[in-house]
Parts: sequence; C-alpha cells; structure tokens
Amino acid sequence: MNRSITRRLVVMFALGALITFTIVGAALYGVLERELTRHQNDDLNTNLQNMRYSIERFGDLEHWPRLQTKMDTLSPADGSVRFWVLSDDPRFLYGKGLDEMERVNQGEAGHGTLTLPITGRSYRTLSMRIGAFADRPPVRLIVGVDTEPFEHTLRAFLVALTLLNLAAVALVMALGWWIARIGLLPLQRLSTQARALRPKTLSQRLQVDGLPVELEDLTIAFNGALGRLEDAYQQLEAFNADVAHELRTPLANLIGGTQVALSRPRSATEFQETLQSNLEELERLRSIVNDMLFLARADQGEAATGLTAADVAHEVEMTIEFFEPLLDETGTTVAIEGELRTQATMNIALFRRALSNLLQNAIEHSTAGARLVVTISQRAGAIWIAVANPGATIAATHLPRLFDRFYRVDSSRHDHGDVHGHGLGLAIVRAVATMHGGATVATSEAGVTTIAFSIAAA
Amino acid sequence: MRRIDAPVAAMKLLIVEDELKTAEYLQKGLAEQGCAVDVAHNGIDGQHLALVHDYDVIVLDAMLPGIDGFTLLRALRQVKQTPVIMLTARDSIEDRVRGLHDGADDYLVKPFSFLELLARLQALQRRGRAQEPTQLKIANLQIDLIARKAWRGSERIDLSAKEFALLAVLARRQGEILSKTAIAELVWDMNFDSNTNVVEVAIKRLRAKVDNAFSPKLLHTIRGMGYVMEARDDAIGDGLDEEDAR
Repeated sequence: MNRSITRRLVVMFALGALITFTIVGAALYGVLERELTRHQNDDLNTNLQNMRYSIERFGDLEHWPRLQTKMDTLSPADGSVRFWVLSDDPRFLYGKGLDEMERVNQGEAGHGTLTLPITGRSYRTLSMRIGAFADRPPVRLIVGVDTEPFEHTLRAFLVALTLLNLAAVALVMALGWWIARIGLLPLQRLSTQARALRPKTLSQRLQVDGLPVELEDLTIAFNGALGRLEDAYQQLEAFNADVAHELRTPLANLIGGTQVALSRPRSATEFQETLQSNLEELERLRSIVNDMLFLARADQGEAATGLTAADVAHEVEMTIEFFEPLLDETGTTVAIEGELRTQATMNIALFRRALSNLLQNAIEHSTAGARLVVTISQRAGAIWIAVANPGATIAATHLPRLFDRFYRVDSSRHDHGDVHGHGLGLAIVRAVATMHGGATVATSEAGVTTIAFSIAAA
Repeated sequence: MRRIDAPVAAMKLLIVEDELKTAEYLQKGLAEQGCAVDVAHNGIDGQHLALVHDYDVIVLDAMLPGIDGFTLLRALRQVKQTPVIMLTARDSIEDRVRGLHDGADDYLVKPFSFLELLARLQALQRRGRAQEPTQLKIANLQIDLIARKAWRGSERIDLSAKEFALLAVLARRQGEILSKTAIAELVWDMNFDSNTNVVEVAIKRLRAKVDNAFSPKLLHTIRGMGYVMEARDDAIGDGLDEEDAR
C-alpha cells in the first residue's frame, strides 16, 4: 500500500482536503448557528416588548380579555410562537400547560429553553416580570419560539456540509491520482528504460534529457553506477577468458601427454617421464589457483594480518639476497636508495612476496648486466618501495593496466610458455599493497621503467 | 616410484578424509613410505578410531560428514594429545585460528602437495628429537655445521654463506625431497610460492661447486617435485630415471 507513490500522494491529498474542508465547514456551521440564535432572540425580544408594553399600560382586569385576544392573534396556529402569563391571581393566567410552566420556569427574567411535556416541542424562551398595574398584581410574561425550524436548518446544513465535504474529498482524490500519474510519468519512462537493460546492453544509459530536476541527479547517479558495473563486468569477462586461457595450456598438455603415453605399450621409464611432465603442469595449475585465491581474498577486502614492525631496508636486503644467485647469473646489480631508516608495520611474508615479484619482473625485463635501483621513500602517510630497471619504455596506455591480472604489454608473449610467471605477479603486488592500505604506480620514461607499491605508514 | 626416504617410516597414522581419491592416494603414498595407515571416511568412524587406537599422527580433514573435523579434534583433545595435522579447503584465517585454537598441531590448505604433507609429518616426528649433529657425512661429502665448512674427500669446497646454508638444508634432510618452495623458505625465509627460478639457479651453482667435479653425484633433481641430496648406488647423474629403488 505505502509502496506506491501514487497511492501515497492520493491519500495525502485526501487527508489534506478532508482537514481543510472540515475546518471551513465547522466555521461556517458556527457562524450559521450564531446568526440563527441571534435571529430567534430578536424575534423573542420583539414579541416580548410588544406584549410587555400592552400589559404594562393597559393590563387591568377590564382590558385583560383584549390582551388575551392579542396574544391569541400573535400566536400562530402552528405553535411556532407562544405566550404565557403567570400570576398569583388566577384571573390573569394565560397559556397552555401552565402547571408545568410554573415548575419549569421559576427563574428570573431572561433567556431559557423548555420542552413541553405533551408535544415534546422545544422552545427558546424569554421571560420578564411586569409590575402591578391598577387592579392587577405583578405578572410574569414568557414568550417562546419553537426551536424546531432552527434545528432543522442546522441539521440540513450539517448534512449538506458533510456530503459536500465527502464529494470534495473524492474529487480531490481523483484529481490527485491524475496529477500523480502525470507527475510520475518520467519515472515510468525511466523504469521502462531500466527494464530494457541487459548484460548484453550494459553500454546503454538512461536518458537524462527532458527529465525533471528531481530525477536528474538520481538518473546521473544511476548511469554512473551502470558505467562502473559495465567496467567491472567487462573486466570479469576478460578475466574469465584469461583464466580459461591460462588453464587451457597446462590442461591441454596434461591431456595430450597422457593420451600419447597411454596410446601404446611403454616402458616404466617412459611412463615416469610422462608423470613427471604432468606433475610440472599440475604444479603450474596449482600455482595459478593459489594465486587466484589469494587475489580473490584481497578483492574481498581482506586486510593483511600478522603485522609486525620491521625495518624496510632490511626486508629489501633480505629479498635481494634471495635473488642473488639469479642476479649473479645475469650480472645484474641492485642498489638500495632513499630513506634507509624507515620503519613499517607489515606482514613480512607478503611484503617480501610483493618485492620479489617486482624484482623478478625487473630482472626479466632488463638486459643482462643492468643496474636495478630499489628506492624507499616516505610521503603522505605512505611508505613507497619503487623498483626501477633499464629496459624498453612501456607505452603510457599500458601503464595503468600493468597491475591487472594476466595483463601483458606484449600480447605475442602470451603463449611463449614464460615459466616463471603466469601474468599474476604485478596483480599480487597490487593486492599486497591494498591489503596494507597502500597503492601501486608504474612509470616508464627514457628507457627506465619504475614500478612501485606502497604500504600505509604506521 | 622410488621410496622418497625413511624419516616417516614406522609411523602409525590415521587419515580422516571423506574425499575418496584423496584418502586413497594418501594411504598409498604414506604406506609406501613405510607407515601403518588407517583410513576413516567420515567423522564418526574417524572419532572412534582416533579414540580407540594410539596413533603417532592424525591427518584430519576439516569438512567431514557426520562430525566435522573441528568437533572431532575437540573431542579428541579432551582425552589425548595425539598430534593432528588439519586439512582445510579454504585458506581462511578463521579456519586457521579455529584449528590451532582447538588444538591442531599443524595445518595444510588444499590443494596441498604430497611432499608438503610428508615434510610436515617429518617435522612433527623430528619434534623433541635429540639435538642435531654438528657433523654431516654423505658418501665422501663432509660438512662441519659449526665451522660452516665442507669437503669433498680431502678437497675443501669454497662456498658463500647462502650456498652453505643451502647445502646444509639439503644435507640435514638427506634422502628427503625438498620442493623449491620449501628450499626458499628454509634457506631464505621466503614463505611463499615465489614463481622465480632463483632456487634452480642456486642449485645449479651449488651443484657446480659440490658435485660436478666429484663422484658420486649427490645432488639430484626430481623432476616436477624438487631436489634431494643422497648417495645413490649407481653413479649416474641427474635427469635420468629415478627408478633406483633399494
């Protein structure tokens, strides 16, 4: 119920109309009631003053029958106006049901109401005391006006008011529904467009032109989200293709090698060689799977654990020491520069892993006898470790993508069976940096490629 | 395949693993190493066997039908302190913490290699063993671990510090196949799959100094698995078949 904006708007319109009309109606009713009361009181007063004058001036016993006749004349047959005269002297009594009148209206002069016991009719009354005159003792004159027409008018007005109110509310609801429908039309157009979005049509965007201001922000935000989604989706697609491709080569080797081995009788030695070859491929698969799991965990936002305080330069030295056999072999040298006293809080195994990937990468991409430089620097709350190697300059378009999984600058190298890596090395560097609250950056200028990662300074 | 070595021989093991193929190859492999191996395919049988018999080590899968590995481990720990190696499919920190908290002695993430399991078993068996020797001798190779010197016959071999460390690691575990990852960890303290050929190069250089000019050859490559140092009956070099079972 509350989920529909149209319904909510209609209900709110109706409530608003109901409240407004009720207040206006109540005010009108009050005004009418006051006016009617005033009118009745005027009526009473006129009649009272009229009779009072006669009774005061001519109300002796001799003239009393004439006054009675006058009162008869002034009382219409429908009983809408009535006169009563109360007196200690029974000769001066006038009006019907006087016994009750005496009981009912013992008050002093003034306004009052009474209900006649027999007919049940209600009267608004005005009474006053009139002093003695000639042979007449003091009397009490009461004028009554039937309230029935007055109440009837009020009732009729109230009914009319209620019906009109309801009709008006219904009309407002109908109008409100129509207005809401018209007003929400752009939203409907948007949802129609949104419904048409499919994974295949992720490059489509919702139209912003002609939208009301209120929806424009939302639509732009939604389009932004679509853009990010498209990027992520495409990355995932490419990634899946890459994974499949990476796994396909070792799998093909395994299947083919095994098939060849089994296709004819062979010596144990030959089978052993097949198994050994298979084992190499399987290790390759295991290594890819393990690295992918590691990257997946980093993607899920897993932070590095097992953090310890470490001397950055020392860790760099230890990692370089690991590479010494390889460095000796290729005649490569490594220099450590920068802020050598930097301390950091890190997972040492992960740090060494990231750095060893960078060193491996640098050694692979520089010619024998090159001089690599590892620079430690500290800026803006982060500790940066940069590895620079002389080598072919990498085009700027490749640089931001170097850290993507399976990304290779030279796609022709893809299938050359690069035994020391499977295109995840720099992705792992980025994952390690992320897990330490850091980042990665790559630059390549004038024959020197520098790849760096950072970890948050403690 | 030739027997890898005897360090785990004569161990009495229980494998609790519901994956039939895994259980089968573990049983076969460990039995061929000279171990007495019992296998349970679910937690209930596993718990029964673990409580009734006295094993040297229990290899316990974390995800099991019936009773899961962690529950089994807790039940076991209330009764006895049999060493336990947990196998888990996920390398999640919670699993590790949970396992070690519940009293596991070691912990392997699937997919693990058989060599890795062997190494862990050997480590558990070495635990609490008498102090390591200060001198090692394999055929005519002599190593003084205190003076950090090595000889082949009477000829002194000139080694760098890391080369000596590498030689010592291999010689201490003679007959035991060490994977490249294990060597990187033991010699350089690099605890990860390094994806580099550093170890290959290091072994090649060590071999040039220790083996090339001498006989018998001691440092052997086991293709796809790693390296082993041992004196073999034949004097044939590496790269040939490893069929020379005793």
